[in-house]
Amino acid sequence: MISWNAVLAIAYKEFVHVWRDRRVVLLIVVLPPFFTFLFGHAFENSTIRDVPAMYFDADHSKESQEFLDLLKTKGTFDWVPWRGNPDGKIELFPAQVQAAIVIPHGWGQGLTDGDPLAIRAILDGTDTNTAPSVQGELQETLADFQSKRRDNLIDNLPDEIIDLGKQLPIAIRHEFSSMMAPWDVKTETLYNPKLSFIDYVMPGIVGLILQLLTVTLIASTVTREREVGTLSQLLVTPLRQSEIVVGKVLPYLVISMFLIASTIVVGNLHFGVKFAEPLLLSLTCFLFLLFSLGLGLLISVFSRTQTQAIQFSIFFLLPVMLLSGAFAPLNQLPRPVRLCSELFPLTHFCRAFRNVNLHHAHISPITGDLLFLGIGTVVTCVCAAFLLRSVDD
Amino acid sequence: MVEPLIVLKGLSKKFGKKIATSGISMSVRRSEIFGFLGANGAGKTTTIRMLCGLTKPTSGTGSIGGLDVWKDRFRIRSRFGYVPQKFSLYADLTVMENLRFFGEAYGVPRGKMNDRLNKVVSDMDLELRERERAGRLSGGYKQLLAIACALIHEPTLLFLDEPTAGLDPSHRQQIWDLLYEFSQQGTTIFVTTHYMDEAERCTDVAFIDRGRLIAKGSTRDLKESLTGHILELQVEPAMTAMFEFRKLEGVYGADLRSGNLRIRVEDPDALLRSWQNHWPFPKLKFLGYSWVEPDMEDVFQAYTQGYYQQRQDQRESVEVGRNL
Repeated sequence: MISWNAVLAIAYKEFVHVWRDRRVVLLIVVLPPFFTFLFGHAFENSTIRDVPAMYFDADHSKESQEFLDLLKTKGTFDWVPWRGNPDGKIELFPAQVQAAIVIPHGWGQGLTDGDPLAIRAILDGTDTNTAPSVQGELQETLADFQSKRRDNLIDNLPDEIIDLGKQLPIAIRHEFSSMMAPWDVKTETLYNPKLSFIDYVMPGIVGLILQLLTVTLIASTVTREREVGTLSQLLVTPLRQSEIVVGKVLPYLVISMFLIASTIVVGNLHFGVKFAEPLLLSLTCFLFLLFSLGLGLLISVFSRTQTQAIQFSIFFLLPVMLLSGAFAPLNQLPRPVRLCSELFPLTHFCRAFRNVNLHHAHISPITGDLLFLGIGTVVTCVCAAFLLRSVDD
Repeated sequence: MVEPLIVLKGLSKKFGKKIATSGISMSVRRSEIFGFLGANGAGKTTTIRMLCGLTKPTSGTGSIGGLDVWKDRFRIRSRFGYVPQKFSLYADLTVMENLRFFGEAYGVPRGKMNDRLNKVVSDMDLELRERERAGRLSGGYKQLLAIACALIHEPTLLFLDEPTAGLDPSHRQQIWDLLYEFSQQGTTIFVTTHYMDEAERCTDVAFIDRGRLIAKGSTRDLKESLTGHILELQVEPAMTAMFEFRKLEGVYGADLRSGNLRIRVEDPDALLRSWQNHWPFPKLKFLGYSWVEPDMEDVFQAYTQGYYQQRQDQRESVEVGRNL
């Protein structure tokens, strides 16, 4: 049986350690809202903007100027003019740009002559996300330009041509009209109708900050006692391992709840993220915190020194940040890697949080995730208690 | 006959291939101040940690009050207090917070807590430092606080691992006075030290060397075992003589004491007789000699430098006085 007096004695002592370390208090108070603010703005909008790019208009025609004007209205590029050999090798890196286009001489004429020349586009392939987006944006702008010219052409067709067209069989005329008009998709977006990326990414931000702080904070607790020698002193008392583990987790749980509240307040007040189903979200957060604290404690018990504990924490957190689906969908990952990511608490937290907050799911769709978090808590805490048994051996 | 409080039977501990202690067998009576002596790395701390249930013995057994030190470690922890070698309290907690925490950890009842706190604070002379952070106390007060924390639950047995290491003489004296007082009140004291003058203050001592128990007995018995083996020589130059004599067969140690050369010899009479016939050191001037009573330093040096190995042919164990 656990003695709650003993648990509270340890919890109070742990809380005093944190409270008297002013730098840690500052870290706890300032970092979570600051990181939420920073990450939130970083991921507020997923569209690519202001890509440095240069153009060379070798054509100097009315058409080339119109196309460039259209390109400049899009925010994707930050255009600067360039002069050089339009047929030679074009280097992007020395010019500090990620894209370049060359409108060849005679391009405008080619459009009217029925022999359109290709615009030369040079893209920086190092950034595999930006290059395809830039290419898509160029294609899209060119299509816009083309459709604008087509509309103009149709509007200015002489009446004789229109009359001539009316002599075509009706089926061909309809098909022709259909081919001339853009084919449309009537989209209905559910759950996140504004396609607000911040709404999608908020659980990732909250979870990552919490995981980072809780794991690193608690990871030092046992190793610090081991280094200072107080662990031996603690273990010769009649305290049970379970009391030590619960007593150590409890104050960090309270601190983490404060952290989660501060990140959610910033998310709501500053970014306007709405939080639905408060009870289910609280349960998800609570289990996620417990699992994270259990993991941190396990790292702490397993490590011999505080340096080791911090190193283990970083090695654990690195794949978590990249593979837990916090900032990008898990579907992008290959299947074996996706299976590995299922081992991370943050993966389950993000999924459950999104299901509740965006899909307005009730408990049954997230039961698996909650069970995983709950079982993970029990396993990590029991292992930590077991490892605490032997100090030397 | 009263049952001994602590009984060790062949207690051994290995860390990998390294033997920390090997087959230690001995017993400690109740209310005794038992000194466990040895050089640094001899195995004192490992033994005390096995007794406290912090390290699992590789082989052999140990018991406190009839309970096994490993199997029953959770049951016996409330019966003893432990003061480790290194300062091991919470530096960022105040004196009173440390005491209260250990009081609660040892399960001191709430109703009794304040009385116990006041008692140990007063006993350890910590009244004026109650609100000071433990990390800011001087070395002596840190040690007094460590003892206070180990005594908060009124244990009948107190383990102290080199409690006076690095302390000034007045704090050393203060701590020993306290140990006498606890012993008078019935507490058994198990103390490790490498200060030989402190060994004189114990009722019983044991020597450990490279993990093996090499002698155990009362200080008087151990000193008597060396009587007639210690000579003090007046030789010039003394320093040169000390190094020369250390090379002699049958001499187990030679040290300078107050300008004289103190040597521990297996058969001093034979040595003196041989020197009367022939003084083998032409560069040394022999001025005279006297017999001296051994002190604990002599006893320790003699046992650790080979006296034991010569004597063990004559007896199976050098445990003087009481055997198990």
